[in-house]
Amino acid sequence: MNISYNWLKDLINIELSADETAAALTRVGLAVEGIHAFGDDKVFDIDLTSNRPDCLSHLGVARELRVITGNAFPAKPRSREEDAAEAVPFPSLLAPDVVKIEDPDLCYRFTARIIRGVKIGPSPEWLVKRLESVGERSINNVADITNYVMLELGQPMHAFDLDKLAEKRIVVRRAKPGEGITTLDEVERKLDESMLTICDAEKPVAVGGVMGGLESSITESTVNVLLEVAYFDRSSIRHTSRKLGLATEASYRFERGVDIENLSRASDRAAELIVELAGGRLDDFVDVYPNRLTAPVVVSNDISRAVRRLTGLDVPVNECLRILTGLGITSEKQDDSSLRFTSPTWRHDIAIEEDLVEEVARHAGYENIANELPPAFEAGEYQASEARKKLLRQKLADIGFDEAISYSFIDTKFDGQYEPVPGIVDEKLDDKFVTLRDSVIEAAVRMRPTLLPGLLDSIRFNLNHQRRDLKLFEIGKIFANSAGENSMPAEREVFGLAITGGELLQKHLEPVRALDFYDAKGAVEAALEAVGFPSAEFRVSEIDHLRLGQSAGVYIDGGLVGSVGRLNEAISASYKFRAPVFVAEIDLEAVLARNTAGVFYHPLPKYPSVVRDVSFIVGRDTTFDTVRDAVVDQGSDICRNIGFVDVFEGKGVADGKRSLTVRFEYRSDERTLVEDEVADAHGRILETLGNTLGIVPRG
Amino acid sequence: MNIETESFTFDDVKAEAKEYQRWVAETLDTLTRPAFERFMHFYLDHASVLDFGEERLSSGHIFGGTEPSQNEWIDRIEAGRVRFTGRKSGIAKLKSKVGQLSLEERPLFGEDVRKLGKLLDYSLEFLINFARNEVVENETERNRLDVTLPGRRPRTGHLHPITILRQKIEDIFVSMGYAIEDDREIETDYYNFDALNIPENHPARESQDTFYTTEGFALRSQTSTVQIRAMERRGVPIRIIAPGKVFRRDTPDMTHVPMFHQIEGLCVDKGITMAHLKGTVTEWLKRLFGDDTVTRFRPSYFPFTEPSAEFDFSCFKCHGTGTVGSWQKAGGGQDDPQTAAGTQQTERCRPCKGSGWIELGGSGMVHPNVLKGVGIDPQAYSGFAFGFGLERMAALMFNIDDIRHMFENDVRFLEQFR
Ligand SMILES: [Zn+2]
Repeated sequence: MNISYNWLKDLINIELSADETAAALTRVGLAVEGIHAFGDDKVFDIDLTSNRPDCLSHLGVARELRVITGNAFPAKPRSREEDAAEAVPFPSLLAPDVVKIEDPDLCYRFTARIIRGVKIGPSPEWLVKRLESVGERSINNVADITNYVMLELGQPMHAFDLDKLAEKRIVVRRAKPGEGITTLDEVERKLDESMLTICDAEKPVAVGGVMGGLESSITESTVNVLLEVAYFDRSSIRHTSRKLGLATEASYRFERGVDIENLSRASDRAAELIVELAGGRLDDFVDVYPNRLTAPVVVSNDISRAVRRLTGLDVPVNECLRILTGLGITSEKQDDSSLRFTSPTWRHDIAIEEDLVEEVARHAGYENIANELPPAFEAGEYQASEARKKLLRQKLADIGFDEAISYSFIDTKFDGQYEPVPGIVDEKLDDKFVTLRDSVIEAAVRMRPTLLPGLLDSIRFNLNHQRRDLKLFEIGKIFANSAGENSMPAEREVFGLAITGGELLQKHLEPVRALDFYDAKGAVEAALEAVGFPSAEFRVSEIDHLRLGQSAGVYIDGGLVGSVGRLNEAISASYKFRAPVFVAEIDLEAVLARNTAGVFYHPLPKYPSVVRDVSFIVGRDTTFDTVRDAVVDQGSDICRNIGFVDVFEGKGVADGKRSLTVRFEYRSDERTLVEDEVADAHGRILETLGNTLGIVPRG
Repeated sequence: MNIETESFTFDDVKAEAKEYQRWVAETLDTLTRPAFERFMHFYLDHASVLDFGEERLSSGHIFGGTEPSQNEWIDRIEAGRVRFTGRKSGIAKLKSKVGQLSLEERPLFGEDVRKLGKLLDYSLEFLINFARNEVVENETERNRLDVTLPGRRPRTGHLHPITILRQKIEDIFVSMGYAIEDDREIETDYYNFDALNIPENHPARESQDTFYTTEGFALRSQTSTVQIRAMERRGVPIRIIAPGKVFRRDTPDMTHVPMFHQIEGLCVDKGITMAHLKGTVTEWLKRLFGDDTVTRFRPSYFPFTEPSAEFDFSCFKCHGTGTVGSWQKAGGGQDDPQTAAGTQQTERCRPCKGSGWIELGGSGMVHPNVLKGVGIDPQAYSGFAFGFGLERMAALMFNIDDIRHMFENDVRFLEQFR
């Protein structure tokens, strides 16, 4: 809102300079964001909060200055015309012949003034300058005057060409089905029954409180004017303005609330100026006021104490009353010595004692409120899982991962491509996923049921920027609908990662080797280890978005918590990924909810162990875990450990086979093992493996 | 000790010494010029022990192509050792001759032979030492590393700047006795609006600003929702900080994103005033930006607080002055003001746009309707709340010009933060 310093000075005596005035207004909550010079004037750009529509005018700002400066308003605003135009009283019985309000729930008060014999023409220079100073363009004298009075007193108004109104009357009513209007901006608009219109005897001539119609507007040939100054229901104006996609200076003010008791003053002021600047004479004035607003009343036992209780400021009652009275909030002593405060009709935000406290506090000055810390309370606390999540993040950063944060809404095209972590999506539902009504990003209306599309989008974004070796992870929520009437969507915190390219060393520009499945798996292991689960199990699994044979389900204590593997060809191709991409997604919430195993110390071995490395030729379906499990099942009490040494395919190994080298560790807690014992146990294990898995040591 | 043959009395000893002398000269003649120069250094360093005759060494020398660290030279010296000190060597013959001499001649001859023997031992030892030294030096040279090359370790990854900032702020508040809380991101209108005293027709409720699901749930538009759920669960007194994602229907541009992170603080107890709000906000900003940070509170309006205030803090870059010194180069050259020609200039500070203040967030005393809504008596309890956006703060702190980078996950962006 642009406010002219000179204009303010017309309304109230200000001893402060323009800069001082700006600072003083900012201090009480009318934030002056900028001051620019306009001729000999200074114009303030004031950023008003939505609760203060009363300050959308010079009068409103002057009211704040009344409290700031302690100066009273002059008895009457200085006017360029010495002889105030006199309103011609109108017999109220005849009023309905001129103005009829059919929907008083939407139009609380309507005044109409007839001015006859005006001459439409350019505005005088002072008026043009005034308007220009606050960024308004001059149109013609009558239009400028309505604009000027709105900026001065805060009351929007509209001038009709009386002779273009059918039967020269006004009917205020909801639009009828099928009605329309071409508004001043020359746009043809369809109206509906939810919208309030100002009509003549036949048709809508204005969208009430939003914009006038083109046909009935003032033109150079206008002679007789009907000046509308009215009060409309705030939410009705908001509704109509939104529905038409038409926001105007008038609708902006009406929907926030104008001063219903200021209508005739504003009408008078405009009429005076029209007579002065456009000639003509005043005729009938009609004031239809069917729906009176009751001014809110606040009772306070001790306003000074209330201020102290909420702000710590010590403001004596007299000073409280000076501030409130200056703002137009009147007080009346009650029998029980409490005070009964009445809000002025221009304020729509005074309802409770706390509102009065704010009025007092902002004028007493927030800068006078002390800086204190509340008394000690109890120890702070992180969220229960934060420490472990912090470790997880740090661990992944340590092994080269960058942390991603992606939008929680994704494109619907990803539906069905990914298999979300278990237990979140209810497959029985027709509508499994949470969907937004609309989005600000093209097609991104799906609340993500998986982090992977976001991570893969980021991989592609980076590939497009010449970064080929990538490791990204993200921790965030995924969403899915849950069954049951009115049940809220499920939210689950998960952990996801995506890698591609090669393994980078710090400050080395070329990777040292290509990343593969085991890098993704290693990262998952590291992440789970960081949150207390060092021995997750990976089982061969078929996962929708992963390539067969390079995918694994991730299990903790037998419970499936997610998956890891190589992104399948279809998805890779849709992203035009040339290098393989490996992804993992883990239900972090489920993992963190599990109890971590405690540490259980084993006494250090007293006797030496004997180690045997054996290379087996195995088919690709014989996994290391199968071999290990078979050995464990065999149950040798001296075979204490089976570990992985090496695997390879190729030279010296038949096609379709692998050479898997495993280390057996034999040890006893009672004695040093003798060669025969080891040979015996080892032989039996090899025999079992031969019998159960059909694998034999390499020749 | 001198290799000069004149020091020997007997002709056959003298002849053997001469033979050796020739061999030494020949051997040294095979050395390359640099190797010979290194030999001269080595020789001068050890000159107190041996004297090969400096003039002989430094003049009339022929240079060969052998490096003393190579087998060829070492073999040559080994061969020399066998030739001059082995069983069939001249000195061995001379030694066996000692016993055949008369008693008068024997001591004198013996002395000559002993002297030559010692000379040969020392001298050959010296040549071998030189060769060994050359081998070591050559080895060292071959194994010389470029210690400035990068070390070997996995590339260090990076946490997201929002995580970094959130963790810092959480640490501060936990140390000030606050509990960290978070809750649902998809909310009901009740938690997103009603419980926060945002009435049905309030502009903030318009669907232009809020994302709605087809089922009519709202994506939370502020983390104040967490305040309500936390007060319901924990009751009062309460001190919490709620960091989390929030959603607004803003089309992404340089300064807007439809999803961002907020931190909300809430403290409700008996006797809490705006002074505590000011003190608390000032304290954590000081802990984050330094002790000289000052804050400014301006009256404002939020439906869920009354009275309400916006808070600013003195710019961390210019310390509230609005200007920063910059070095204006005079033509090319170094950026270092100490060495380059140029002038010191002041320019408008970027983070605060020259105002000296950075507008950070909103705050106020919790509205009595909010307290009543969760069953807290606003006559007995009062509280303050404040909130601010992390992306905006990070953008200011890290000088990020386009806020959309926050969610692009561009590695070139991410790797700039620690
Ligand atoms: Zn600054």
